[in-house]
Amino acid sequence: MSASRGGGPRFAGFLVICLVGAALEPFAAGRADLAAQSVRGWVGSTLQMVELRPVAMLAAGCLPDQPCYDALSEERSFSATQDLSLTAWGFGLEGVSATVLLRGRARLGSDLVWPRTDDRFDAILAYGQLVRDRFTVRAGRQEIRSGLGFSSFDGASVAWYGGTAQFRAEAYGGRSLARGLREPDREALRAVEDFVPDKEVLVWGGSARARLRGLSITTRYQREILSDRSGLASERGALDLSLATPTGRLIGAIDYDFARGTAGKGRLGWSMPLADGQWLVEATASRYVPYFSLSTIWGFFEPVAYHEIEGRVGWSPSATLAVTFGGGWRKYGDTGTATVFRPLTGHGERARLGARWDVVSRVTVDAGYDLEWGPGGFLSAADVSARTALNERLSVTATATTFQQIEQYRLGDGRGLGGGLSFDAELTDRILTSGGASLLRHTGGQTTVQDSPWNQSRAWWSLRVLVGEDPGLANRRRR
Amino acid sequence: MRAAGSGLTERGLVLGRLIGRALPGRRLAGRALVVLVGAFLFGAAIVAAARAAQEDPFPHEGHAGLFPVCAGCHAGVASGDSVTAYPSPDLCARCHDGVQEEEVEWRAPVRPPSNVTFDHSEHALSLAETGDPVQSCESCHSDSSGGRMNVDATEELGTCWSCHAHETPGHFDLGSRCESCHVPLAESRFDRDRIAALPHPATHDDPRFLAEEHGREVPGYADRCATCHTAERCLTCHVDGTLIEIAALPRAPSGMELPETTAEYPAPASHEDEGWLDAHRLQVPVRECSTCHTQDDCRSCHVGIVPTFVEALPRASESLAPGAQLVTRAPESHESSFFLDAHSVLASADGQSCATCHVESYCVDCHDGPPDGGYHPASFVARHAADAFGRTDECATCHSTEVFCRACHLESGFGARGRLGSGYHDAEPVWLLRHGQAARQNLETCASCHAQRDCVQCHGVLGSFSVSPHSRDFDAAAAWAQSPRTCLACHVSNPIGEAP
Repeated sequence: MSASRGGGPRFAGFLVICLVGAALEPFAAGRADLAAQSVRGWVGSTLQMVELRPVAMLAAGCLPDQPCYDALSEERSFSATQDLSLTAWGFGLEGVSATVLLRGRARLGSDLVWPRTDDRFDAILAYGQLVRDRFTVRAGRQEIRSGLGFSSFDGASVAWYGGTAQFRAEAYGGRSLARGLREPDREALRAVEDFVPDKEVLVWGGSARARLRGLSITTRYQREILSDRSGLASERGALDLSLATPTGRLIGAIDYDFARGTAGKGRLGWSMPLADGQWLVEATASRYVPYFSLSTIWGFFEPVAYHEIEGRVGWSPSATLAVTFGGGWRKYGDTGTATVFRPLTGHGERARLGARWDVVSRVTVDAGYDLEWGPGGFLSAADVSARTALNERLSVTATATTFQQIEQYRLGDGRGLGGGLSFDAELTDRILTSGGASLLRHTGGQTTVQDSPWNQSRAWWSLRVLVGEDPGLANRRRR
Repeated sequence: MRAAGSGLTERGLVLGRLIGRALPGRRLAGRALVVLVGAFLFGAAIVAAARAAQEDPFPHEGHAGLFPVCAGCHAGVASGDSVTAYPSPDLCARCHDGVQEEEVEWRAPVRPPSNVTFDHSEHALSLAETGDPVQSCESCHSDSSGGRMNVDATEELGTCWSCHAHETPGHFDLGSRCESCHVPLAESRFDRDRIAALPHPATHDDPRFLAEEHGREVPGYADRCATCHTAERCLTCHVDGTLIEIAALPRAPSGMELPETTAEYPAPASHEDEGWLDAHRLQVPVRECSTCHTQDDCRSCHVGIVPTFVEALPRASESLAPGAQLVTRAPESHESSFFLDAHSVLASADGQSCATCHVESYCVDCHDGPPDGGYHPASFVARHAADAFGRTDECATCHSTEVFCRACHLESGFGARGRLGSGYHDAEPVWLLRHGQAARQNLETCASCHAQRDCVQCHGVLGSFSVSPHSRDFDAAAAWAQSPRTCLACHVSNPIGEAP
């Protein structure tokens, strides 16, 4: 990733996606019978504009109780994203299919480099698959979504199904890609790190799942090593379960870092509907500790976990109104550090109140208030949005937000007030579009930054065209 | 022959001569008898049927002396010739000419639609073979209170059953061979009301009959079904009209009006089984699905790759029947306002359930989605610090902390560029002395601004202070064994062998 500004954009990958997408969009929009050719997917284009004010340290440096940063003039980021998602099958052999999700990005004369907009091309998914009643074989770039996180790899996987699909076993292996990215660690980190692993990381692992009546339980083991076998990047396992009972649902998850010999994240939750579903009571105990690959030094700095208990209550007296209230308390583990001055707090609290109300048949109001304090800062924020469906195909949403934020030992406190408008439209059954704009006006609460640094403006527009048969939920926008 | 009057007698003789010419001759007396009796039977049946449909105005009783035998007027009955099954109106006019007798207007009755397969000629032949003298037109067509010409036009089952014994106790019993006596409905020329009024067996009233049993009966009893049904009745519900059981039933001919029927799709018992949704593919043959379901039903849930066998099902647009018309509905778990928090565990525990309704790109929409303001609220950029530090959401689920976060922080002026100072951290001069606790509590936040080298400046063995970042419990030997390259980022050699 390049952090340089104003560099000439290299459009090669982006153009490929744009050209393919542009070629498909009118075709897809006008030809519903593509489904008969066993092709399904969507083509999406997104444009975004973000305007904000970066900060820079004053030449005089930082003095106590004096501003040490100044807000620079407004800078803008214009970016474009072109997606192409297709799944094709019917190649003459039952169960054979190919799936791709390609993404091209471009900066359009931006002052700012918005994250990843200088990453011109991503093959997010690109695999071939063979499905039979008892097994599935997949090869190519694919994702791992498990209790160990959400990541990708280039390789192969085999899944076997037993019984009447109650049992599933899977094995996979290949080249590991960095979490949150579709690149090997060493390439992803090179733009921002001097110290990067000089070898690629290979991953292999497996999982087993059983589903018996209301119980689903999955265990997973995964190991990552450097390609020359000179070191370990990670060795972890996870256990996830969901148990549905007549009175509620229990979920549980825990992962374990075999390399460090410590437990990782965990969650145990119980949710129980009461009074014919009018009430929903949930209690959760969780544990969070960040995970770092052994390829970086961060894991050897031994971050501590926090444990949290949360309680939530949902009340839905009618089909048109739902209110939720919840709160949590968390405590961090002993850091073992000797803090000479003003030790930091080791616990935090948070609460949230939310409501959703269908005022009339086509108007829905969402409102929420969040309160959070603890190590790292204090936040008091309120959001409200009103969505109205003007007709079956067009809806408009207005949002308003305000917050107060005090960040402990960090720059950036103050109050904000903002609002925005957005729309979602179905131009046809196969062409969806959405867009919006928002403004945020910020006033600093302390003196670390001159002027008001956080004023932001944002606008976006997207177009999505369905290819082949409408897969229903798959390509509908989230409401 | 009984003469009603002189005029009639004369006309009767003329008619007798005409009939005599029509007869095949006098070669075989027995054959003549057969034909005679058969013709009489047929004629009687025709008359009886005509009475059922409309009042027969012909006064048989009054013409008894004029027409001594049935075949005299109904010669075509025995041969199956519809033209000569009734006499021509001209024949009436020979007497009813307005001079001898008053003029009359008589037309041969139109036989009402019937689905009975009775064939007079077959009976005539049968009679010839058996030589049963009892069989005559009168044996079926006569009014018990009257004479021979007192024709009873009604068709009663008892008349048939007087000779033909039913093989089952009840008329509608499953063993009955309806086709023995009835033509298929498609050949009956019944109108809509007549079809609607057809009686139905008691078995049809059982709810299980529609849901399950009739499908098992049809293969062996298609002819029986066809007595009262055409293929259109099947296609009211069945979405797949190519099933051989349906193809075995004749279609209604053009012009036949059928009663309106409503599609019903009672759920079979198998669908009530626990785990049905999980394993339905393995539990029934696909062809059974096509009773109620089209491809569109499958696709309403299976939004990913649709198996080839699904393509064997008809599409909704190709079907005359509406089909069960499944509608995608979110599971109960999705209706919880807490679902977003819990969905990762549910997906990890049973990802296959997710894959039923969601294609993988659906996950990517949030986890690596385009920047269209979809997941985070509009003001999130300005206030995300608290979220990031408190980890309401695990940022690393979607973002690379080292790359995504740090790149933006650098752009915005907040990322560390190798210089260590107190500026960003509240301009607090002693921040360096306090930062260890914050780092251990939330190292991801540190990594979102700082490169590893920033830390190595002090924590490396060659750094300014050589402060160990490890805890007392740190297993250096294990770390070296696992990833010596990483150790060497701070240590110049094997740390196990280094001097303390």
